Amino acid sequence: MNPADAYNLCNRYHGKMVRIRCNDGTVHVGQITRVDQKMVWINPQSGMGGYGLGWGWGGYGYGPGYGYYRPGFGVGIALGAIVGIGLASAFLW
Amino acid sequence: MNQYLDLLAYFGIGGAHPGGFALTQSIFEKEKIEPHFSVLDIGCGTGQTASYLTKKFGCSVTAIDINSMMVEKAKKRFVNEGLNIKTVLGDVQKMKFADETFDFVLSESVISFTNIPETLKELVRVLKREGSMIIIEMTAEQPLSNEVREKILELYGVNQVLTEEEWITCLRQAGFTNVKEILTPPFLLPSEIDDIDESEKIPIHFYNLWDEHNDFVEKNNHLVGYRAFKCSLA
Repeated sequence: MNPADAYNLCNRYHGKMVRIRCNDGTVHVGQITRVDQKMVWINPQSGMGGYGLGWGWGGYGYGPGYGYYRPGFGVGIALGAIVGIGLASAFLW
Repeated sequence: MNQYLDLLAYFGIGGAHPGGFALTQSIFEKEKIEPHFSVLDIGCGTGQTASYLTKKFGCSVTAIDINSMMVEKAKKRFVNEGLNIKTVLGDVQKMKFADETFDFVLSESVISFTNIPETLKELVRVLKREGSMIIIEMTAEQPLSNEVREKILELYGVNQVLTEEEWITCLRQAGFTNVKEILTPPFLLPSEIDDIDESEKIPIHFYNLWDEHNDFVEKNNHLVGYRAFKCSLA
């Protein structure tokens, strides 16, 4: 996904619980707390999702461009690393 | 084609029906499917339920969907999981199966998207005389205003939303002499979307449609809900 699209979608879902898939196969589930030109910050929901949510923070910090933890914002993910983003839950017909 | 169903196909969402996969699981905790049963999953989507039923009961499952992207994603799932599930691209209103082929039919929010009497007639045709069917379908909580009906048609391509009584009447008229409601959670609770096979490029208008859908559900959940029924011919 191009970073501009990722940026727009992250803004669209600001404050919502989303599921973000990255180009290394990791999946992050959490509430979007902040979006800037390069990163989206999510407050990870524990107990949801399989990958990438096993704290200690050691799981983060290796991939290019993400792995930052900022108190209050949660975990940062580089927009350029995002390949898919969508709501983490919904009622669907 | 139906934009809403395309949305579900592009995002590749499993369990995309009221109650989600959790409701499917809770229904089949109680429902007994024999290993020798021939099961038809109509509107199979990405095949989550067909896969689950095959693994849980060891029965023979046939999955059909009208959306080619869904069928491709379902096939991919079955190959990945090493399951032998016959997967058909087709219209449930006109299927190519012989009369009295299946012991059990499942419709998870599918019949509502079709001409209801026509599809029920077709399902009765392919079902064995002693067979049974479970459906989870969009249901009007009260007669709907023209405005709401038009919005439902526009958003979902659904041109008729039956009330609970109308569902029961329609099912009886189609030949289902036994119709029993299955109790479900009373609210339109969001389900976790954790079974996804999204397409690489999802056109932006599907995100817009999803927002519109969410708005609609939020505003109208007292008017439109769903029901689940178990029906049998004999």
